[in-house]
Order: sequence, then structure tokens, then C-alpha cells
Amino acid sequence: MTTTLPASVDDHDHQHDHRPRRSRNRLLWLAIGTIGVGAIFALRAFTGELGAVGVPGLTADLLTLATSVIIESLPFVVLGVLLSIVVQAWIPEDLLMRYLPKTPVLRRAAISLFGIALPVCECGNVPLARGLILKGFSVPESMTFLLAAPIINPITIVTTHQAFGFEDGILVGRILGGLAIANIVGWLFSLHPQPNAMLTGRFAQQCAVGSHGPRQSRTEKSLDIFMRESSVLMPAVFIGSLIAGAIQVAVPRDVLVTLGSNPLWSILAMMLLAFVISVCSSVDAFFILPFASTFMPGSIVTFLVFGPIIDIKMLAIMRTTFTAKVLLQLSLVVALMSAFIGLVINYVV
Amino acid sequence: MWSNLQRWWGVILILVAVSATVWLGATQQLVLYIHPRYVVFTVVMAALALVMGVLSLAIRPANTEEAVAPRGWSRVVGGVALLLSGAVALSLVLVPPTTLSSATASQRDIVGSTVGSDSQNADEVENADDELIASFTVVDWSSLLRQTSDPSFYSNKTADVVGFITASEDDPANIFYLSRFTVTCCAVDAQPTGLAVYAPDWANDFEVDAWLEITGSFEVNPSSRSDLPLVLVPETMTVVERPSEPYLY
Repeated sequence: MTTTLPASVDDHDHQHDHRPRRSRNRLLWLAIGTIGVGAIFALRAFTGELGAVGVPGLTADLLTLATSVIIESLPFVVLGVLLSIVVQAWIPEDLLMRYLPKTPVLRRAAISLFGIALPVCECGNVPLARGLILKGFSVPESMTFLLAAPIINPITIVTTHQAFGFEDGILVGRILGGLAIANIVGWLFSLHPQPNAMLTGRFAQQCAVGSHGPRQSRTEKSLDIFMRESSVLMPAVFIGSLIAGAIQVAVPRDVLVTLGSNPLWSILAMMLLAFVISVCSSVDAFFILPFASTFMPGSIVTFLVFGPIIDIKMLAIMRTTFTAKVLLQLSLVVALMSAFIGLVINYVV
Repeated sequence: MWSNLQRWWGVILILVAVSATVWLGATQQLVLYIHPRYVVFTVVMAALALVMGVLSLAIRPANTEEAVAPRGWSRVVGGVALLLSGAVALSLVLVPPTTLSSATASQRDIVGSTVGSDSQNADEVENADDELIASFTVVDWSSLLRQTSDPSFYSNKTADVVGFITASEDDPANIFYLSRFTVTCCAVDAQPTGLAVYAPDWANDFEVDAWLEITGSFEVNPSSRSDLPLVLVPETMTVVERPSEPYLY
């Protein structure tokens, strides 16, 4: 609702009115936001004291599991959005492009190593990969980054080393396997005649608009990116976690574990487990540690290579950027390759 | 209206999620969902997102996308996504935080679980002093039980353990499992471990999922229907509050 008189105000006055009204508006929304957050806290503090509300065991566990996946992945999503903001709004336009090799194969190889400097797991990598496409990376290049970075990011390497050390070639298998898959998938998708057709309509449109939007200060642009990335990612994170929780409640864990000692079945069971549980790559080594005595080392490598790339939550998040067909092809290729890596390790080591 | 809601829905969801996270952190209940080693990182990132979210509401960046009114199926899918994620958001704010229950424990192979299989070594415990033995958890005892089922090993050792009740399938009337979850990353990987407790007609006094402190000793299993060699025979069973750190690490 505006209270200014519409017709009688001339342009000159309008110019003067504009700024203060905008900042008044901002103060108003700052107040609304703060009060809203305050209300959420008050409500949460109130309901938190109520004690059990008679939700039956399995439903309660479903919510607990879904909440656990959300809380576990949220900090990494936030970190990914923040890094995406840095890439899009704060580093010079051509800094990333300037030093990259020109040959596509070498270029993708260099891009697959980017992740070493970026402590983000897979859910945080999607906003970053989107930022890279907007920055001018080709779709296969950003996909190479997307697949490699969660596996070779420093936190993942440290936690995998903490969990397994150098035993059974698990750490080495994970790093080399992840790099190989990322580069081969990047190469496969670079054969696609129209790379932009792999993107969803909404995101392709955003790429076309590019940075030619209205002039914004860096702060405004940063908050704009924050708003856009959360509106794309958060529903996916929430729904992915809900489905992951529901499946875990529905499928007895022992079914998967009994398959553990057979070299072939244990690989399939591990891929299924990775697909269902949907935890971030930075923490999945600890997740799989209790199963280490049950499953063969190659199967664990399969879990550690497949899980960061394909799982329920990740498919929901990637669907914001890529078409369903691309995700199906991607899942198939990655599943075959990670199974192959696992089989080699199972039979050789 | 629709396009505005869709633009801001993510910010609303992230504000709800991080508010819930910060509140859990402030009331020290984050350990119900994640391993303590991630608590600080999680709270710091949540606080950052909280500030960014409120600021982005205040600045309200200009709409750079041309609004496309969704039609047909994409409108249905969008509506379902909105409802589902909204329901999850509501549950984050409305449902009181809780641990995983016995329903999940019995679904995750409570007896065969090898969690903490090396947490205690039978040879070293053989002549341990009472103080050490009193500190043993459900996981420590079940790791010992897996190593030896020789009754004389346990004859002079009194267990004092806390856990929740999970029903036994073999002899539900006389035996229940006093169980705990072990967490290495987050509640998603929680692995149950349980000690079989021999307490005829326990269901008259206690409910499944109730937290108990039990003192007692391990003796040869009197139940004919269960093939476990040893069970914990309680001297005292007391209902206790759920511990503030319900999972073991």
C-alpha cells in the first residue's frame, strides 16, 4: 500500500522521495524478518517443552531420521551457498578462466582438482556448480567439478583417513576412483551436441539472463544469490530428507547387511545403502565405519565413491539444475563405474 | 502471490531450519541428531544463514527473473513440493525433539550388531577393579559377551547399566533388551546394541522404550525359548530420565 498521491506528484519530488522510502521499507522488512524469527524461536521453545505428543514409534523415528539428515547437511548447504556467492559476486570475472588449460581434457582434469581447495560436500557443491555455469563454465566442465569435488575435498579426505587410515587401499581407491569417474563422465557428456539442453528450463533461462540484470551493489547481489539458491535448494533438501527417512524406516537394515560378505552382492547392497541414507561425503566415512568388519574393502570404496554422487537427497537437489534424462544417464554411468572399481578392489586386494 | 511465495519459500524454509538448529544447540539437544564433533560447525553455519536470511528479507533484491506462471503438471508438482517441504518445516518447529526408539532398534539387528566390538578386551577385564567395571556401558558388556560366555568370568562382576527397553522376539514375556544406540556420524547411522535382561513379566511394570538403570549380574540363561547363553539377571531395576546424551559414541 502506498500513501503518496499518484497524479499530483511531479517527477522532481518523486526522485527525492525514492531513497528514504526504500530504506524505510528495508527497516520495515528487517523488523518483520526479526520478529518472524523471534516467533519461530518462541514457538519452538514452547513446543519443545511439551514432551512426547503421542506420535507412534516408527513415525517419530521417520521424523527423527529426516531431521537428522537435514541438520547434518544444512551447514554444508550454507557453506556451499556462501562459496557460490564468493565465486559469483566477489572474485574477478575471469580469474578462474585465465589460468585453465585450453585443451578440453586437460581443462576438465584441472577442474576436477578444484575441490582440493573447497571444503564442501555434495549438497553444497550444487550451488557452487551452478555458480560456475553462470560464470561461463560449460555444462560438462561443471559436472566434472560437481562429481569430483565432494570426494577430494579436504574434509572428506581427512575424515576418510581418520576412519580407515591407509588400510586396504580404501582412501586411495576413493580418491582415484572419484577423479576417474568425474573425468570420464565429463568427457561423455562433452559429446552431447547441445550442452545447454541438459539444463532445466528455469536454470537455462537464468543462465541466458546472466549478469545483465539490473545494477546491484555487491551486497545486494550476494543476498540475491542467497535468496535464489535457498529457494531452489531448500525444498529439495527437505523433501529428499523426508524420503530418505521414510525408506530407512521401511527397509530393515539387516536385509542389506546380510548381503555383506559376497563380493558381488555386497557391492550392490552398498550402493543401495549409499543411495538410501543420503549423508554428506564429509561425514560418510564415519557412517560406514561400523560396517567395515561386515563388508569387503572394495564394497566400502563403492559406497564412498557412489554415495557422494548419487543418492536420494542429491538427485532431488541436482534435479533443480539438470533434466531428469541427464540424471538417469548419470546415475547409470556412475553406478556401473563405481561397481567396477569396487569389484577390482574386492578381487585384487 | 504464487511467484512471490516461490521466490521466498526457500528463505522461509532455511530460516525455520536454522532457527530450529540454533534452538537445539542452545538447549544442548543437537546431540540427539548429530555426533558432538559437528556441533560447533553446525551452529556457526546456522547462525550465518540466520543473519543472511533476515538481511535478504530486508534488502529484498529486485526480481531479475521474468515470472513464468506455472501451468498444468508443473503447477501440481510445485504445489506438492510446497506442501511436503512445508510439512517437514512444521515438524521441525512443532514436534518435540526425541531420540530414535525401540522400533528402529529392533529393525537394525540388535543382537548381531558388532558395534564397539573391541571396546573392551576380555583378557584385560579379567581382573579389573570394581570402579572400572561400574563404568561399563551396554556396549562394553555386549562386547565382552561376544568374546566369552564363560559364566565364571562374570561371577564376581556386578553390572550397573542404563538403557531403554526393546522387546525380545524369542521370549517376549521374560526377556527384554536393555539397549543403546551408538552413533559415529549422525542419528542416521545409529547402531543399536542390547543386553538381554531376564525379568519375568517385565511388561507389567515397565513399558517398551522406557529408560531403566539396572544393577545385576550375568548368569546362565534360565529361559528355554531363547538360545542366548548368558543373560543379565537384575537385582534392582529403576526407571530413570532419558540421559542428556542418549547415544554412545
